Amino acid sequence: MSIKTLEKVRKRLEERPEELKRAREDGRKVVGWVGYNVPEEIIHALGFIPVRIAVGGDDRLVEVGARYASSKTCVFIREIVGAFAENQDPFIQQTDFLAFDATCLQNYRAAEVIEYFFKKDVVVLGVPRNFDWDEAKQYFAHEANEFTRLLEERAEAPLDASRLAESVALYNDIRKTLKSIYVFQAAKDNVISWEEVYDLIQAGELLDKQEYLSLLQQTLAELQELQQNPVIEGDDGNSRLFISGSLIPRGDRKLIGIIKSVGGRIVGDDLWSGILPHLDLDIKEISPAGVALAYLNRTPHAALPYLDLASDKRLKKLHELLSESKAQGVIYHTLRYCDPFTFKAKETKNVLAKSGIPLLEIHTEYAGSDYEAMKTRVEAFVEMIKIKSEITEEEGVLADA
Amino acid sequence: MGKQLFRYSEENKEKFLESDNISFNDGSVVTPEEIWHYLTVEGPKKYPGSFEVNLYQGNRASRDETLPTSLKTHYLGLTFSDRMEKAKDRGKSIAFIQGGQAVDPYTAADTIALRPGLVNQWYGGLEHGNDINKANLRRRKSKEKAFHDMSFEACQTGGYEHVQEGDLRIDVIAPYTVLRCSDVSYGVEAHRHGPKKDVKLFNVDYPLRYQADKPWAIEYFAQNLRRLVGTLDEVTGRATTEEDVTKAIKLHNEGRRLGTELAELWWSADVPPTNSADRASLVALGNLEVHGDVQASLSVLKEAKKFIAERVKNGVKGHAVIDNPKRIFILGSCVGINGSRSEDAGAIVVGRDDQWSHCTSLVEEEGDPYYNLAKTTLEYPYEQSIEKRAHWTIEQIRKSRADGVIFIHNWGCNTQAAVARPIVDIIKRETGIPTYIHERELGGLQHEQEQNRVNAFIEML
Repeated sequence: MSIKTLEKVRKRLEERPEELKRAREDGRKVVGWVGYNVPEEIIHALGFIPVRIAVGGDDRLVEVGARYASSKTCVFIREIVGAFAENQDPFIQQTDFLAFDATCLQNYRAAEVIEYFFKKDVVVLGVPRNFDWDEAKQYFAHEANEFTRLLEERAEAPLDASRLAESVALYNDIRKTLKSIYVFQAAKDNVISWEEVYDLIQAGELLDKQEYLSLLQQTLAELQELQQNPVIEGDDGNSRLFISGSLIPRGDRKLIGIIKSVGGRIVGDDLWSGILPHLDLDIKEISPAGVALAYLNRTPHAALPYLDLASDKRLKKLHELLSESKAQGVIYHTLRYCDPFTFKAKETKNVLAKSGIPLLEIHTEYAGSDYEAMKTRVEAFVEMIKIKSEITEEEGVLADA
Repeated sequence: MGKQLFRYSEENKEKFLESDNISFNDGSVVTPEEIWHYLTVEGPKKYPGSFEVNLYQGNRASRDETLPTSLKTHYLGLTFSDRMEKAKDRGKSIAFIQGGQAVDPYTAADTIALRPGLVNQWYGGLEHGNDINKANLRRRKSKEKAFHDMSFEACQTGGYEHVQEGDLRIDVIAPYTVLRCSDVSYGVEAHRHGPKKDVKLFNVDYPLRYQADKPWAIEYFAQNLRRLVGTLDEVTGRATTEEDVTKAIKLHNEGRRLGTELAELWWSADVPPTNSADRASLVALGNLEVHGDVQASLSVLKEAKKFIAERVKNGVKGHAVIDNPKRIFILGSCVGINGSRSEDAGAIVVGRDDQWSHCTSLVEEEGDPYYNLAKTTLEYPYEQSIEKRAHWTIEQIRKSRADGVIFIHNWGCNTQAAVARPIVDIIKRETGIPTYIHERELGGLQHEQEQNRVNAFIEML
């Protein structure tokens, strides 16, 4: 069963670069943003067209990027740098300037390298590492104001509070609708897959926001028509998997494809490139600082260290999402040299083991050379979860008897 | 067959005995007689590896014996582990910190601050009788523990392997995080899942991107420093005052001034007054933290400056330095080349940016000491934008009259690796000096491949 709106989304994505080109000819400016704490609403409210720069899966571009940012930088960052070097990506081509945040240090370094080698105008938002301190919030509020000032300079106009309120309302609606859609992919007899929802989330990084909301609402309406009451059940006969770890951007579908090919079913994620950034974003005050602080108060990115394991919001959120999606195992995806996530792989595995949730770490890059090795490991993991599930079921039957 | 060991020659003893005592933080002193005894009797027994004639530490069987401070830095290095153990026995607090940061707040809070290299040195010295290879194997084995518990792609591991194994009595892990390195912040965080729950963890959050001109960033970092001192006080049980911090700033400024003057004196000489290793060990004293004892470093530094001034005045050439060596400047964090082997190939190392950047950064002594420290730290040349950092580096290269530049980064050091290329590009473009980028392994014995590349570069120069 296919959702008709998804076809429309794909078509609109194909048309989007040309549309951006025309918009620029009409005087609009396109802002390419990279990061986890970039308050996109501010960019939008200033009349810019925000597009997220997140490309992956192209080993050749990784090699190109390594010439500028070294082969020791994370694969994702190398590909972004490579994409700027080649300037063939239709979205990168349309960017007038860039907005980065300093959440991940490698991200920050990419901003410096892109600025230096490719002469791109880059605005960087500083992000505090002691993010839970009051002083850190004050610092971040100042940074948000400064970030806004730099954008206003480029917009040649001040930020209008009512425009910001409109943007916040629009983005809130998008987040709310996405969350509603997300439930359907994890449900029993699902009419939309996690992969389709994931693509839909990433489409929103590029499409016009108003139109995107409308497409999401159409998708939700279709889903509600096809499946009125989505129910998430744990033992639906599938190996229900959850993906965590390093981001999986557009263009990188290696691991996702492998999971599907060996019969695993993804039912949830906490990826930086997935649903996570859209969750728990509660904007209490319509101001640059208010918006930015709402971003900082979400589940923190793994690049921001937190020193108390017991109260770690990231792990708490992971548990919560695992419970909601009724996932039976976690595939923890780490990209080569992606330190924020690789450093935490073993710890996350140990933490989840206490809750009886198995974790498989897949450490990879964008080359195809490890495809079979990954497939063997994922297949074994999926098989293990199936067997575990069958044993649990048998034990349940015996207990009932 | 035993390893061939270097021995200090008795003919230099008399002159050495005329030199100054070393004074320590706890008020104790060690006399040149005691140092001589240690270096000739006790030291070779405890640490034969340090006296081994080995390509790793140079293929010549001698050191600069006529430079007393060279022997003293050797002494301080060899006794480091014992001194840290004794400090702990006396109840002294010890903190793990980042390389590339000053230690004024830790000194103010009566805490010994050890960067990763010093933590490794402490661990290395706990076992006696090892030759170079055995000592290195022991270090590698320990590091594997951290790789296993964190990531094999780690460069810095926040001292995890030593602290969590219970090998070193470190009280608090409190580095300036993300200053020049990202791994160390993940290393600090990793301690939260280790078995040792009594070690305190603290991130001194160094904000990024052109923050030195932003009052709110300076204030935020100052607040981090205030909280750092509060955390250190929780360990020591004392109450560090602003006056203590100002006093520490003045003390460290004295070290930084002397270190800078010593380096500039060295650069001013027509012939290099010391070899690469001695230059590095003396200039490093300027930050006063290198031997885990601020006063000891200061006392050797003061004497060193006197000796170097005398050598420069008399045109004395450093030991084993060839005539007209090619002058090399090294860039990058936690790196270096084999000085004596490079000297054999016709070069001399005339400077580094690492450790030097903050040695040249004096802190304002009047006003709020935390704000002053924060402002200076955010202004470290090493931490600025690519262009700013490159231009400061060019200035140092010109002052040192370097003929070539090598940017080295350790395997897994994404933060420095990412900017190596643009920085050397600017240097090459603006000075015309040849450069190359070199990747190496942190803490391993330096391989032939590395020296081959260095030697080829020297030959090209």
